[in-house]
Amino acid sequence: MSAAVERTTLLAGGTRTRLVQAGPTDAAEAVVFVHGNPGSADDWVRLVGAAGAAGHRALAFDLPDFGETIAPDGFEHTPFGYAEFVAEALEELGVERVQLVLHDFGGPIGLIWAMAHPDALAGIVLIDTGVLPGYSWHSLARIWRTPVLGELFQAITNRSGYRFALNRNEPRGLPREFVETMYDHYDRRTRRAVLKLYRATPDPGGMSENLIGLLAPRDVPALVVWGEHDAYLPASYAAEQRQAFPSADVHVLPASGHWPFADAPETVERLLVEFLSRN
Amino acid sequence: MPSTDSPYDAVIVGASLAGCAAAIQLGRAGQRVAVVEKQPDPQAYKRTCSHFIQASGVPAIERLGLLEPIEAAGGQRPRVHAWTRWGWVEAPPEQAARGINLRREVLDPMVRSTAAATPGVELMLGWSAERLLREDGAFAGVAVRNPAGEEHDLRARLTIGADGRDSRIAELSEVPVKTSPNARFAYGGYFEGAAPAHAPDATAWFLDPQWAAAFPTDEGLTFYAAMPTKDRLPEFKRDPEAALVKFLADVPEPPPIREGRRVGPVLGKVDMTNRMRRPTAPGLALIGDAALAADPLFGVGCGWAFQSAGWMSDAVLPALAGSEPLEKGLDRYRRRHAKELRGHTFFMHDYSTGRRFNLPEKMMFAAAARDARAAAIIDTYATRQIGPAQMLPRMVPRAIAVNTRHALAR
Repeated sequence: MSAAVERTTLLAGGTRTRLVQAGPTDAAEAVVFVHGNPGSADDWVRLVGAAGAAGHRALAFDLPDFGETIAPDGFEHTPFGYAEFVAEALEELGVERVQLVLHDFGGPIGLIWAMAHPDALAGIVLIDTGVLPGYSWHSLARIWRTPVLGELFQAITNRSGYRFALNRNEPRGLPREFVETMYDHYDRRTRRAVLKLYRATPDPGGMSENLIGLLAPRDVPALVVWGEHDAYLPASYAAEQRQAFPSADVHVLPASGHWPFADAPETVERLLVEFLSRN
Repeated sequence: MPSTDSPYDAVIVGASLAGCAAAIQLGRAGQRVAVVEKQPDPQAYKRTCSHFIQASGVPAIERLGLLEPIEAAGGQRPRVHAWTRWGWVEAPPEQAARGINLRREVLDPMVRSTAAATPGVELMLGWSAERLLREDGAFAGVAVRNPAGEEHDLRARLTIGADGRDSRIAELSEVPVKTSPNARFAYGGYFEGAAPAHAPDATAWFLDPQWAAAFPTDEGLTFYAAMPTKDRLPEFKRDPEAALVKFLADVPEPPPIREGRRVGPVLGKVDMTNRMRRPTAPGLALIGDAALAADPLFGVGCGWAFQSAGWMSDAVLPALAGSEPLEKGLDRYRRRHAKELRGHTFFMHDYSTGRRFNLPEKMMFAAAARDARAAAIIDTYATRQIGPAQMLPRMVPRAIAVNTRHALAR
């Protein structure tokens, strides 16, 4: 069961973001969860609770224009802009050492943050994300990246279409509540942010070489969890994460899709808590 | 010391399950049988085997008088619980068929010693079959090499190949063989300690396309098996035990493999190519895996070894007793073998390609997870007690009804 978490807000990067936290709030080292697209701090409630219950300072926040958080004027909707936001939030929170937990687009964002702060990275958990050498965008991303078509697609996506499209690609279906919350947050602002973010990322695998070159010699403790039936980021990338994290513990969950923490919550929680206790 | 002068009624190559089962049955019917086995150790047993025996094999085992000794030796009588993404497929307990789980380490010596004690059966351990003997266009025994390295001719009216998946007898006889690829590999090992849920029942996870299973067995042990598609092979080659434990621990509703302790090695089999051979030639019969090496995923090998030995023995005994030509009996065996197993094999081997479930399979599994009667039909089929020709007419209408009702209720 999910342990108690505190929901509060945080002023960072010129906006007020929602913060979900657990564990000792004054620790200098924290487990920091970065959500993907479309996602929010709500994705992480269970895992933040579990990490907190295991004695770690754990926190998750909305990225600007996701969840219920509004981007400040002039915010740069690029992986670098979001990584900068993560850096500012962590500074505000007084976090100096980080165990990152990344999902989906939280991957590039978190990894860019890690490139800028390699000494602060104490460990990393990659959930259906990571370095993606040679990856070219999934078909949905290609639609988002196409001018007009992307806008049109975002404009006509309604709740039932969203639910249908999402579950069609998931081997077990996702919990209804999880999908509803995701759609609730998928407002006009988020839709616009998604288009900007994907259009600012022409080559999602482009940074891989730099990341691998920088991170591999450090052999940062890593856990990789990937749903075998991820329709967006293929599970064949799971073992590839050893290029950047040679000692990574790699788990490909055989009955999961793109959101293992939603369709196999017990397994992901167990793997995370064990990983944190090993470090 | 075996006699090499007067011919045997039957010479069997291979003293594993099928060979010994045939020897017991033929010997009890008054035939003089030689069983040639290249393993010299009477305690030898097959190591790369899940040891699970489907319920379809139980009557053949009971008929040999082996069921009671198996249970006395700690053999379990499991039902099967199957995980699918639609839920658990579990026939109502009173309807679910029960197979057998007893380690091959115990089962093989038991069956072999029963064969050795059968009047008329000569067990020749440490002897290897070198060549097939021919006479008048038919096979007529085997040339064997004894442990001292000397060659003898063992002449027999009927030569039986029971020497497994890579049967040398089948190869020498040049019977037609059909193969189909298997996209999976297998690893497994015994663990002691915490028993899986449902124990002593067996559990199989149909992870589509991955597959895993837990077979509680004698001595409080559990055999854990993983049969992943070959893209997973590098992980298993790196560290077989770690990969096996991780694989089982990461399935939904996982068994407590991490709380257990490994007993004995984790063994794997990478090439599981399906082989279907014509089970007869003039003067010759193939039984067990030598006739049909089916996809191990379905746990049919041991049961079908006993069953095919029984069908073969029943079919040839009238001829061996002199009341009809041998070819007639062999022909009867060949037809029986095809009738019993061809339908099963067709669907199994279609699934061996590593593909995901097709629409009819999805419908049937979904219905079986939602409805006890559908689960009972699938259970009878999956335990190989009925073939697809009996299963489909019962299952398809049921699946349509159950899934429609489910869709409307949502």
